[in-house]
Amino acid sequence: MRRFSYIALVLLSSCFAGCEEKIDMDEVYQIGIVPCQRQPQFFGTTGLNIKRSALSTSEKRTKGLVLVQFPENNTDTAGRKTWQHLSWSSFGFMGSITTDENGNVYTIPVPVVNMLDNPVEKQNTIYKVESTTGEMKPFAVLPVNITAETTNPFGLLGIYYDCSAKQLYTCTVAGSTKQKENGIIFAVDATTGKITDKLLGKDAVALCVCGITGEKRLYIGSAVSSDIYSIKLTKAGKFSGNVQKDISLDMLGPRGDDKARRIRFDKNGDMMVYAVEFNYNLTAPTEKQESLYRFRYADEDKKWNFIK
Amino acid sequence: MLRYIAIILFFVAVNSCNNQASTPSDSKTNYASSAVISENDSMLKIPVIEQRMAIIKEALSQEIPVLLLNNADSIQSVAQDVALKDEQFRTNILDPKSKQPFLNEIFNVYNARPQEIPKGYDNKNVYRVEMYNYALNLTTVALVDISSKKIISVNNYPQSQPDININLTDLALQIAVNSPDVIKALGFKPGEKDALMAATKTSLNRTKCERSMHLCVAPTFIKDDKALWAIVDLTDLKLVGVRWTNVGKPETAERISERKLLFDKIMECNCKQVKSIDKIGWKMNYVITSSDGLRISEVYFKNKLIINNAKLVDWHVNYSGTDGFGYSDAVGCPEYSQAAVVAVSEPKISELAEGGGFVLEQSFKSEQWPMACNYNYVQRYEFYTDGRFRVSAASLGRGCGNNGTYRPVSRISFAGNQNNFSEWKSADWQNWNIEQWRLQDAQTIYTPEGYQYKITDATGNGFFVEPGNGQFKDGGRGDNAYVYITKLHADKDEGETDLVTIGPCCNTDYKQGPEKFIEPKPENIQNSQLVFWYVAQLRNDDTKGREYCWAERYLENGVYKTHTYPCFSGPMFIPVNK
Repeated sequence: MRRFSYIALVLLSSCFAGCEEKIDMDEVYQIGIVPCQRQPQFFGTTGLNIKRSALSTSEKRTKGLVLVQFPENNTDTAGRKTWQHLSWSSFGFMGSITTDENGNVYTIPVPVVNMLDNPVEKQNTIYKVESTTGEMKPFAVLPVNITAETTNPFGLLGIYYDCSAKQLYTCTVAGSTKQKENGIIFAVDATTGKITDKLLGKDAVALCVCGITGEKRLYIGSAVSSDIYSIKLTKAGKFSGNVQKDISLDMLGPRGDDKARRIRFDKNGDMMVYAVEFNYNLTAPTEKQESLYRFRYADEDKKWNFIK
Repeated sequence: MLRYIAIILFFVAVNSCNNQASTPSDSKTNYASSAVISENDSMLKIPVIEQRMAIIKEALSQEIPVLLLNNADSIQSVAQDVALKDEQFRTNILDPKSKQPFLNEIFNVYNARPQEIPKGYDNKNVYRVEMYNYALNLTTVALVDISSKKIISVNNYPQSQPDININLTDLALQIAVNSPDVIKALGFKPGEKDALMAATKTSLNRTKCERSMHLCVAPTFIKDDKALWAIVDLTDLKLVGVRWTNVGKPETAERISERKLLFDKIMECNCKQVKSIDKIGWKMNYVITSSDGLRISEVYFKNKLIINNAKLVDWHVNYSGTDGFGYSDAVGCPEYSQAAVVAVSEPKISELAEGGGFVLEQSFKSEQWPMACNYNYVQRYEFYTDGRFRVSAASLGRGCGNNGTYRPVSRISFAGNQNNFSEWKSADWQNWNIEQWRLQDAQTIYTPEGYQYKITDATGNGFFVEPGNGQFKDGGRGDNAYVYITKLHADKDEGETDLVTIGPCCNTDYKQGPEKFIEPKPENIQNSQLVFWYVAQLRNDDTKGREYCWAERYLENGVYKTHTYPCFSGPMFIPVNK
């Protein structure tokens, strides 16, 4: 009987491995490099020049999301304009922004300087801005385990939309302490808002999906160290295999202990890491200076090398 | 037996946080707690530093105020000479405003690497000259053709540092081996050969001073299976601190930097662990909180409980030039905290210069202070032999403008459940029956001694409250303070535990946060447990000679130092002895 169970288990697991839907290699190499996101439809109704406008959550003295029209050139002082939907400042200060292929925007709350506008209980909610109307609403409330020892002020820290699987990836550090990294990276179905997978024990700020190495992988910029990790993803966007360390920013740049805030890939597949100081506190953003680090993947030795 | 062991272990853990490094006794010891943050702000008095200072002063007095490469050969001399004649290479030699010299030093002159040499130049004739600006933390690199004695190119690299040369290596070593903290940690005075001095970046150079942005290196001393990192600041010529690590494989070896040393030590020894003081009749516990500054608790004087706890809840900073512009800053632990301005040193206990007593002090500092929009706050508790105590706070600037008003929100939870609070009115004390607030202003009436309030227990003993009116000889110019009295509840938390930010930055009236515990229905406070809130209002000033809540950078020997103009505030509590 025990032997039968064992055989069944083997068959089942081999089916899981064997039944996993394969991704076309040409498609894999495009992931994260060829942009798939669309501009939100409501941009056209704002009266701003949409060709030089972008969404921001870091406008000084502006709470929440804001659409910024950038000046045409340095002398165009009147060219800088902003536009805000009434709902965009209702949920406190916001952090990362990501957009899907229909122009829907997803963002997460991140406190700035203090917690007055970002209460702890609202820190684990993903907010969605409808492409057509521009209205912002709570989209998914993610479960967290906050203990009495938790003193860090953050919940969700990064968010990224992967068009290939229509999944949102985000990470909460709400349960993390100096002694224990309790972060959870969630894969969330962008259609339903349901959690499709979880990766436990990693605090991340930067998240990005890319296939440049020949594998569709989620790149994870650690919030605890200067390391960048990655984990393989299935075609459906679930986590597969083990987390591996790919890159360290240790001793790079002016500070030498930067944490990756944002990871993106350029059209050549080079990884661009935008990194800042991060120590799980609410140090004023005016202090924070960002550095850009570029890495290139070397197929021959399967390593990411620092370019500049 | 188990209890006995537990007591010994606790004692060892507490002792290891005493900021006196000694060799950790086993590999399980927490090296963060045995680390030492150097408390000595002045340079060591050793010949190499005296010689170095003399050389710096001499160099800064020259027409081209640059420290040249020591023991340069003839080719290196030509290369650095050509570079220093170039205007572009000299761009950052003087402060453009004051025309005072920055400390610049030629670190290295060597044959340029093949990939750096432009087409058309003979490899053997192209030299790379690297100059470091200590004040700006900037590297300037020139490529020089020594055959034509011409500059090929000049590039500046802000916030970067060249490899240090052998002279600076020796200097760092001398500072390390002569530092009392290093000697104490090792248990002997090391020789220079004890430090790992391989010329690669993986040994001496593998550290940074991320906060000060100074040039730092870490001579490392091996003892048994452990390595002692001594972080040396070559800009200020002093030891930053020391910390042990396990000696492991190079790829897994832990790098100790300024930030790691400071933050880990403070988190381990001052945020996680409650410390105690027992001095001149005063006994208390203290800890740095996540967002309420340095909290004292269980404060006894001559074995009588005086205060349940006291802390600094918030700093509200409002700039009058721009409506609604400012910050509401919490102060506290450097990591995993809701603090916007963090502790970067341990609490200090020192003797009071006047009056007989001691001070418990904690500072909180933004990384780029005193640059604009960066802050430095000090929290100070004073305890006197006669039972008086003072709870004070100061801003050391510099903030985002010269039109700022700082409002520190202090909270003191008094011991005793039969307390009453009264205010001096003309000729007598008038009791407060319900929770309320009051502003100290030009119309305020004080007793002849300068007291405004009184808090007493059922026996009539307690404290007079003397608000700041510029009388405390600490530079304070008066507090213009709001005082709030609220009732302490056993069944609801109104700030006994860590409070998140209590109020916004920019209210200019009594709405600084404590009123939330009064309004809309003030409670009866007679014969109750009482909480005393004090919100001073301190207007900054950058007028020359009148600076207040302010800080200014200046150049001394080519590197930046800071003048501070603190605005201390806070009331004195004087015992009422019936």
